Amino acid sequence: MNEEELRRSEATMADLLNQFERILESDPQIDEVGFLHPSQFSELNKEAGHSPSFDDSTVLRSADGNSVFWNRDHKLGISTQILLPLYKTAKHAFMAASRQYKALNSKSDVSGDENSLCASLSLDNSFEGDVMKHSRALLLLSCDFGTAWHSRKLVVSHKHKLSDFLDELLLSALVLSYSPKSEYAWSHRQWIIKSIAGKCSTLSEIVTKDSELVEKIAERSKMNYRAWNHRCWLVTYMTREQLLYELKRSRNWASLHVADHSCFHYRSVRPCLLFVVILRDERLMLKILEEQCYKQEISSSGYSVETYQLWKEELDWDEMLIKRYIGREALWLHRRFLSLFWIKHFITNHTGVSSHGKQNNSMNNDFRIFMDNELHLLDSCSIIPDNSFDDYQSQAKHSATYILWLIKQIPDSRRIEFQEKLKTENLKALLNKACPERSSTWDSLVSYVEAAGH
Amino acid sequence: MGELAAEKHVQFILSVEKKKDSLEAVAMEHLRMNGAYWGLTTLDLLGKIQVLALFNKIDVLDVDKVASYKQIKSKRNKKILLNLIFNSDVAALQNKDGSFSGDMWGEIDTRFSYIAILCLALLHRLNKINVEKAVNYITHLNFDLPMPTAVFCCVGALAITGSLHHIDKDLLGWWLCERQVNSGDILIKSKAKPGGLNGRPEKLPDVCYSWWVLSSLVMIDRVHWIDKEKLVKFILDCQDIENGGISDRPDDAVDVYHTYFGVAGLSLLEYPGMKALDPAYALPVDVVNRIILGK
Repeated sequence: MNEEELRRSEATMADLLNQFERILESDPQIDEVGFLHPSQFSELNKEAGHSPSFDDSTVLRSADGNSVFWNRDHKLGISTQILLPLYKTAKHAFMAASRQYKALNSKSDVSGDENSLCASLSLDNSFEGDVMKHSRALLLLSCDFGTAWHSRKLVVSHKHKLSDFLDELLLSALVLSYSPKSEYAWSHRQWIIKSIAGKCSTLSEIVTKDSELVEKIAERSKMNYRAWNHRCWLVTYMTREQLLYELKRSRNWASLHVADHSCFHYRSVRPCLLFVVILRDERLMLKILEEQCYKQEISSSGYSVETYQLWKEELDWDEMLIKRYIGREALWLHRRFLSLFWIKHFITNHTGVSSHGKQNNSMNNDFRIFMDNELHLLDSCSIIPDNSFDDYQSQAKHSATYILWLIKQIPDSRRIEFQEKLKTENLKALLNKACPERSSTWDSLVSYVEAAGH
Repeated sequence: MGELAAEKHVQFILSVEKKKDSLEAVAMEHLRMNGAYWGLTTLDLLGKIQVLALFNKIDVLDVDKVASYKQIKSKRNKKILLNLIFNSDVAALQNKDGSFSGDMWGEIDTRFSYIAILCLALLHRLNKINVEKAVNYITHLNFDLPMPTAVFCCVGALAITGSLHHIDKDLLGWWLCERQVNSGDILIKSKAKPGGLNGRPEKLPDVCYSWWVLSSLVMIDRVHWIDKEKLVKFILDCQDIENGGISDRPDDAVDVYHTYFGVAGLSLLEYPGMKALDPAYALPVDVVNRIILGK
């Protein structure tokens, strides 16, 4: 390419970037971005052609007549053909603006002179605008460009305007529409929420909306751990009412989405979803517990009836699922979590204050009922029918490691009481039958649990 | 069992560096520094780092200089390196509770604890932070819901600071060894081969966890709780025998990230013919010895 051509192509690219940024400016409600192969443009046009709301502004063409952008109903499509040059141009423009913005800021920091400060303020505004404009374009092409996210944080925190923070939530959501796992986009949301917490009257509304956003994204992208991690994080900013409401909703959601109802067979459970739903439930429950500890000193009777009830319901829900969906590791791990807290908080007297005989008795009774229930669960889950599926072997393995784990967790004084029923050699035999390939692992685990008993 | 296609992997790593102007390369641009670490460490573990000389890269990247801070002879160079690190002031990112923020925006995570401790240890500057508080922060975390990546960061930070006695190795080892996938496991059947490690319950195994999980098991001395032979086989099955490189699981597309984690895993499993890797520093043992012990 000779120099003349090079200059011309650079000018074309600058035009394209301008066009792109104008679209973003003129339609601030764009909520979805996607990349289109040139052949998809004609299909979209055909579809749009049949609709009465069609107009020519939907498709934007480059100087050589090729379709490059598609913008309608607040959706934006970008041709894959121009992605690489557009990215390079946007990056170049952003880096230049960012350099100028930084240089100016460091200058006005040094010279305290008021006249020059006023002059630099108006300059500042224009560079600020450039940084915001170009970084937005850049992030819609390359979601994990850290320097661009960083510059936006600088500008927004410099300006201190709530509306700017809320605009950042929109941009992050837009980036997530084409890249739902973008680490930077999610962590940008956390930074925004942390920044406005305590300064914004509608925080709880924003948190609820964010939680819904995760749900929407989770339904679209098959398995998105990063999104669910954000939902777990949001729990920190929820009120008690919100927590209880979310927990209830989460169970309904799980029963709708965890199992794929188009197929009644238990194998159709979506295992990853099951795990993340459970993970979030655990966060919600811990937060509810924490809230309560914070609000009221724990009364002599331990936790409130309400929290007790909450835990009991979750244990029952988990047991129901264990029996319905045979051999799911996630459900058994959840049971370990629930049992640990059940033992720690409701059964053993963890406050250390010597309690009355009557109360002690009722606690002993609670513990016995709990352990009987768990041993009963072991019995019903450790049967491996002849000519069975592997799932029953998994179920037996999980139930045996669960009980082993429980033995490790219960206090020594209680362990003696159940020694007869909790023979570790029986559990080891069961494990070796259910999963013989890991026999050396079972040896290690059992000797660890046995050592703890002495 | 197949064998390690070391020569092919070297070729693969060198080829990645050459593809600079594709959309894929551009989309990965922010990972170039990571890519350099994955690629170089893999080459070194395979005993092939000298191939860089053939590509005239060795003068840009003086391996000895990079690997050994102690061997930087010129005082001026040493000063430049230190200034570089301390201008970003890792130590100042420690919070009152001992945790570390990732940058000025204040996100707190155990990965930042690990990175700060690792970086300062390599520079012989751990005295710039409150190590006791940093350790205390990690040991008081709620470990009910562990993720292998976070476990690695915590265990690695404790190992570097000589604080592994604070954790219940058996209890942690228990959770980690349950990450190895067995042939009877649900959803594993027909979809993947057993022996690999997964990151979360009921997920498919992935070669990268042969780093996160395995290195943690090595550090707490519980690696015998998993089936090492089966894991070696799983990693070898993830190789692209023809074009080099290792993928997340058999028959998927290869990348540098999984190539490094696969090779690193094999090194930790004492696969023959490879250099030893330090599980806490994530660097070859001889490099760590040179830097930390000055050997």
